[in-house]
Amino acid sequence: MAASLPDLLVTADTARSRPPRARAAVGWGKTLKLWLPAGFLILLAAACFIWPHVYPVPKPVGGSVLNAGLPPLSPGHIFGTDPVGNDVFSRILYGGQVSFEVGFAVTAIGLLIGGGLGMTAGYWGGAVDAVISRVLDVLIAFPALVLALAIAEGLGPSEVHVIWALCVFSIPASGRIARSATLALREQTFMLAARLSGTRGPRILLRHVIPNIVPQLLTFSLLGVGVIIILEGALSYLGLGIPLPEASWGSMIAQGQQTLTASPDLVLIPSAFLFATVVSLNLVGDALRERWGVR
Amino acid sequence: MTPNEPLLTVRDLVHEFRTTSGIVHAVSGVSFDVIPGETLGIVGETGSGKSTLARAVLQAPRPTSGSVIFRGMDLTRLHGTRLLQARRHLQMVFQDPFGSLDPKWVVRDLVEEPLIAYRAGGRAARRQRVSEVLELVGLDPAAHGRRRPRELSGGQAQRVAIARAIALNPALIICDEPVSSLDVLIQAQVLNLFERLRTELGLSYLFIAHDLALVKQVSDRVAVMYLGKLCEAGPGETVYREPLHPYTRALLDSIPSTDPKDPAAPRASATISGEPPSPVHPPSGCRFRTRCPRAQDICAAEEPAMRELAAGHTVACHFPLVEAARTTARSEEIEETPR
Amino acid sequence: MTEPLLQVENLRVTFTGQGRPVRAVDGVSYRVYPGQTLAIVGESGSGKTVSCRAVMGLLPSAATIAGSARFAGTQLIGLTDDQLRRHRGADVAMVFQDPTRSLNPTMRIGGQIAEAVRAHRPVTKAHAREQAVELLRLVRIPLPERRCTEYPHQLSGGMRQRVMIAIALACRPRLLIADEATTALDVTTQAQIMELLLELQAELRMTLLLISHDLGLAASYADEVIVMYAGRIVEQAPATLLFSRVRMPYTQALLEAIPRLERPAHSPLPVIGGRPPDLSALPTGCSFAPRCRHAADDCRAAGPPLAEHEPGHRWACWHPVSQGGSGGMGPPGKDRKT
Repeated sequence: MAASLPDLLVTADTARSRPPRARAAVGWGKTLKLWLPAGFLILLAAACFIWPHVYPVPKPVGGSVLNAGLPPLSPGHIFGTDPVGNDVFSRILYGGQVSFEVGFAVTAIGLLIGGGLGMTAGYWGGAVDAVISRVLDVLIAFPALVLALAIAEGLGPSEVHVIWALCVFSIPASGRIARSATLALREQTFMLAARLSGTRGPRILLRHVIPNIVPQLLTFSLLGVGVIIILEGALSYLGLGIPLPEASWGSMIAQGQQTLTASPDLVLIPSAFLFATVVSLNLVGDALRERWGVR
Repeated sequence: MTPNEPLLTVRDLVHEFRTTSGIVHAVSGVSFDVIPGETLGIVGETGSGKSTLARAVLQAPRPTSGSVIFRGMDLTRLHGTRLLQARRHLQMVFQDPFGSLDPKWVVRDLVEEPLIAYRAGGRAARRQRVSEVLELVGLDPAAHGRRRPRELSGGQAQRVAIARAIALNPALIICDEPVSSLDVLIQAQVLNLFERLRTELGLSYLFIAHDLALVKQVSDRVAVMYLGKLCEAGPGETVYREPLHPYTRALLDSIPSTDPKDPAAPRASATISGEPPSPVHPPSGCRFRTRCPRAQDICAAEEPAMRELAAGHTVACHFPLVEAARTTARSEEIEETPR
Repeated sequence: MTEPLLQVENLRVTFTGQGRPVRAVDGVSYRVYPGQTLAIVGESGSGKTVSCRAVMGLLPSAATIAGSARFAGTQLIGLTDDQLRRHRGADVAMVFQDPTRSLNPTMRIGGQIAEAVRAHRPVTKAHAREQAVELLRLVRIPLPERRCTEYPHQLSGGMRQRVMIAIALACRPRLLIADEATTALDVTTQAQIMELLLELQAELRMTLLLISHDLGLAASYADEVIVMYAGRIVEQAPATLLFSRVRMPYTQALLEAIPRLERPAHSPLPVIGGRPPDLSALPTGCSFAPRCRHAADDCRAAGPPLAEHEPGHRWACWHPVSQGGSGGMGPPGKDRKT
């Protein structure tokens, strides 16, 4: 007989059968999944932005050559110093600021502009959709990194230029998600019901479309923040991002490469932070995806 | 408007749309009236086009052609704000109670939405009306007001949808299979609610369903739809007792009944054979001819017009089920074709 | 007295998830005799579907099944998947509600039927294909050879359901379970499919088990009807007896709530309030008591047992209605508003 197992008309959900103690543990597991990485991120961000103001830290630039090349756990320099005498720990903190700023700024701009465009295209369809989709397609067609390089090269390296360059990547990405989510939503009966209730277009977008596509958009974007941070790191590594001597995890890795054998920690420490941040972002994104039932 | 002037007049409504397999002739020339205070029931099976008809009346999306005159204004010729204003007294209740409610909204906001859209009073007045209307449909505003649709049962969700529909005091409510997804006992509760609101608020309904018994129970007049066209229309009792169209007869025969039967009596029998044709390629002439036990050559050649054979009772058939040879000569030649 | 083909004794199915366990089926016992048509009727949440899937071994591992279900003497509960697979199709087959979801959309019809044939009998591919055509002919599909080459989406709902029946019949099962098999179909198509099932039952000497929420269907097509509520059987009788002399107030409420052609328009439907109970928090006593017009203190104190109070007619009620059909208000003085 046809072997597929059809859905059941069951009034209970079908979680695996477990003894009561283990059942409670499942609830804890879900909470930890979200709050462990989220907690780490929050702490790290707090450290990067607040610590230097609260607790005196040596400046990330203008270090004395006399202090060059100190290994980690030296007195006064927990992570040691780099070849020009800057304190690695403070450079990590200030570099972290850059990463978070760029990551979230690019994602936010992408969400606002890209999300807005995508939603409009999805909801109104027709010519509006055609035009916006072509614009987004053009943006997506550009290889992100090459474009970022070109912008950085043309406009000169700086944090703001990095942000613009990476927006070319995040805007169409969010735009596409927003558009497809809106298209799927448009077919729902409650959208027709809202129109029949007399609600007009802009209000429908605001009160009906946005609340329903936010879960998808948000989880996707969180996963995107990690990508953006890595891209910023790559740009800085190539010397096209945050200009030296300002600190950025990417440029720290590039610098540290030159003395890799002598002091590998100059590469390992920023790499470790980069890795931990991106992994945490992904974990948070996944946990939210599970919670909100986004596919 | 005089009391007997129809509330809704639909003439020659046509709706077709393109798909990859061809043009779907969902509604092909449907005409009917709904007078104030009455319930017109439309019965149709899958593919009959009844849901498309409902949406076409509401102009969502606009029909391909035809006129829809509601309270004296032709909705097909109105746009934007004027259409919105004209549609204020025309509301709809859908089949899937959960599908028609935004899952992210709470009950109170859902019911308030039409009031906000039509600027019906200030905040306090709107809130008052929401509570009023929720109580009318049997829901406690305090208990249910802040709930989301997923916290409601099917019957409760449908009540919310009904509350939303009556918030603006409409004249006509189009009900598209409003109880099909509900259990028998809840279905009866909701049907009784529809009846109560009808008498208390003076509503008219266009009630669409696939269940003939259900439609007859709630309607004054009944119209039967098949593959985009109306076959028969008339007072509910008459259509039931003396169906004129073979399709109506087949529908009646197919209904299983719970009356205690003696074992020798015949069961519900399938008096029509074959499958319903696709609306992309409807049969020529009479669309029912491919499954009709009485079909003759003329049924393929000529489409039967809707004729009034009895008071208020119309049928579109070349060989209607009439005993008395009251109409054309053709009907005198009818013999019961053996099944 | 012939041996029952399927004998279910005290079947219990509990789902454990988050929160309290849900008693979907709470002690269900019945027998199906060869050649009979038995209908199990109930609303959603009554346990009718879950109990049959338990018998077929189609429930997820979250379900705890207790009790006994014997098919021609062989105990089905507790068998491994492999053992059950041998029974499924060969002895017992099932047709589900939505053929769209049970048919593989990317496989031609002929192939799917042939697959079902080969699942239980070692035959060649060619032979299986011939059998597929024969089966389509059996379920009265015109031009079966051509249909074999088509995909499910090219067929109408009624046709797809016939294909499902053909697949179910691939190995001539002795018992065919139709789980809301006609619910998604139009009433005219439903009549056709039900007639087909009855003809096939006679031709192949099969036993039919119909699961449905539609009492009318049960009345028209079944010999014997079981009514379930909140996981238990509340009434069982031959169809004619049940509908002419209904006893259980729940069954009566169901009968009265169905719109009937004979009723005049706008007549209010006699209806009971409330909703089916939460299966994880069943009330003590009779589970229907909170909604029952005739409920009395003894109803709330202890649940009435299912017993054969009249020959062939079982019910579980302390205060059954004493008249038949849609009359009957129960013993005087016990009228309660719910």
